[in-house]
Amino acid sequence: MAETNVDFNPFDPTGMLKGVRDANMSAMAKMMVDFVNTDAYAESTGAMLDAWLTSSGPFRKVMENCMSQSLAQLNLPSRDDVSRLAERLTNIEMRLDDLDAKLDDTLSKIGDRHHE
Amino acid sequence: MSDATSTTESTPRIPSFVDICAGWHRASENLDKFQKLLTSDAKVAQTPKELIWTLNKTKLYRYVPVVPEQERKTTPLLMVFAIMNRPHVLDLRPGHSYVEYMLRHGYDLYLLDWGAPGPEDKNLTFDDYTLEYLPRVVRKMKKVAGVEQFSMLGWCLGALISTMYAARRPDEGLKNMVLLTAPLDFADKTAGGFTRWTSNPAFNADTIVANLGNVPGEMIDSGAKMLKPIENYFGSYTMLWDNIENPGTTDAWHAMNTWVRDIIPMAGGAYQQLINDFYKENRLMEGTLKLRGESVELKNLRANVMNVIAEADHITPPCQSERVMDLISSQDKEIFRVRGGHIGIMAGRGAERNTWPHIESWLAARSD
Repeated sequence: MAETNVDFNPFDPTGMLKGVRDANMSAMAKMMVDFVNTDAYAESTGAMLDAWLTSSGPFRKVMENCMSQSLAQLNLPSRDDVSRLAERLTNIEMRLDDLDAKLDDTLSKIGDRHHE
Repeated sequence: MSDATSTTESTPRIPSFVDICAGWHRASENLDKFQKLLTSDAKVAQTPKELIWTLNKTKLYRYVPVVPEQERKTTPLLMVFAIMNRPHVLDLRPGHSYVEYMLRHGYDLYLLDWGAPGPEDKNLTFDDYTLEYLPRVVRKMKKVAGVEQFSMLGWCLGALISTMYAARRPDEGLKNMVLLTAPLDFADKTAGGFTRWTSNPAFNADTIVANLGNVPGEMIDSGAKMLKPIENYFGSYTMLWDNIENPGTTDAWHAMNTWVRDIIPMAGGAYQQLINDFYKENRLMEGTLKLRGESVELKNLRANVMNVIAEADHITPPCQSERVMDLISSQDKEIFRVRGGHIGIMAGRGAERNTWPHIESWLAARSD
């Protein structure tokens, strides 16, 4: 709804801005939704993301290598080392969970026999 | 006479100096409150619960029941949320919490929190979530509850995982399944922004994962916000400012914003699979999806199903959730359409009057 002259108050500048916003918001929202749903938008954002990742990839690799070498020189574990350790811990957790399941199974069978 | 009165009323009154000072004082207080709401966290997920199982970052909680044991439903309910958001939205704030509502109705309630994947989890895939983690969660829940049958509620990607689980493990006691805004069918490549963007050949999930490992939460969040850019980047804040003196609205906004801001990354392997196998190739619906080398056939899904579809969902458009009903073997199945968006159907103002009672009554009829 556009602001009418009757509502106009020259001593309330924020009210004027609000009127302008309310009058245009839904039209802008619809226009933007239509825009981001075009193939042109999908293609351009996909291409930009791909270009950024492809171009920054080699620099990131160099940084990672430098960091790994520095940490190795200082006898400190790298992120990859910690990740590998965490993966092993998860595998151990899974084994423990399997054992827990088997123990539950065994205990319930023993319980059943006891009741018989 | 009447003309003269109307002219006087419509002429703006020149504010006095005192009015101007009072106005500035009020505006500065409101601005301070606005800034605090934007930058602070509300207390969310406050319903008491106990941690009963963990594996890697995944946690299984049991909510402390609020009704006596003899009044409780015998079939427990496991809630499975998406893997790229926190599940707190199910228990947003006291007095407006789905968890509270279900506890009051006598459910033995369990929550699966997938947690935030670290760099070591970048190779986690839907195979792991569906066949490694979820069956273990179910086993533990059944043991704690002392039952053989259970109900499951899956929301968004949690519904996708639940559906695949139900199809691959139909004999593990799943009795009732509630799917909320389930993204399952990606045949229509023009339905919704996500499908349009990710099915475009220029969008390469392999490059993203090869370079970033896990997909940063910020990237997923900005993608979701760009589906409705004006509403999310502008309208949400102007709505808050307009209602800054209304505590009911600001509290609700603050809690929701706390949840929205609490973003987590998505495991790279799962993201790659989501884009390539689901969004681009629609393998689940085509019957060509394999988890751990074995086919996922929807006809194996036999549990009772209620499929809740949000009619104004811009993240999972209704067409992505509908066709599954024709492919499953369940005898007892129902589609429930709700006016609202992806999150609003469960966390919006109308949820407590519409969505929650409908889900509860459907489950109640099948939980004893």
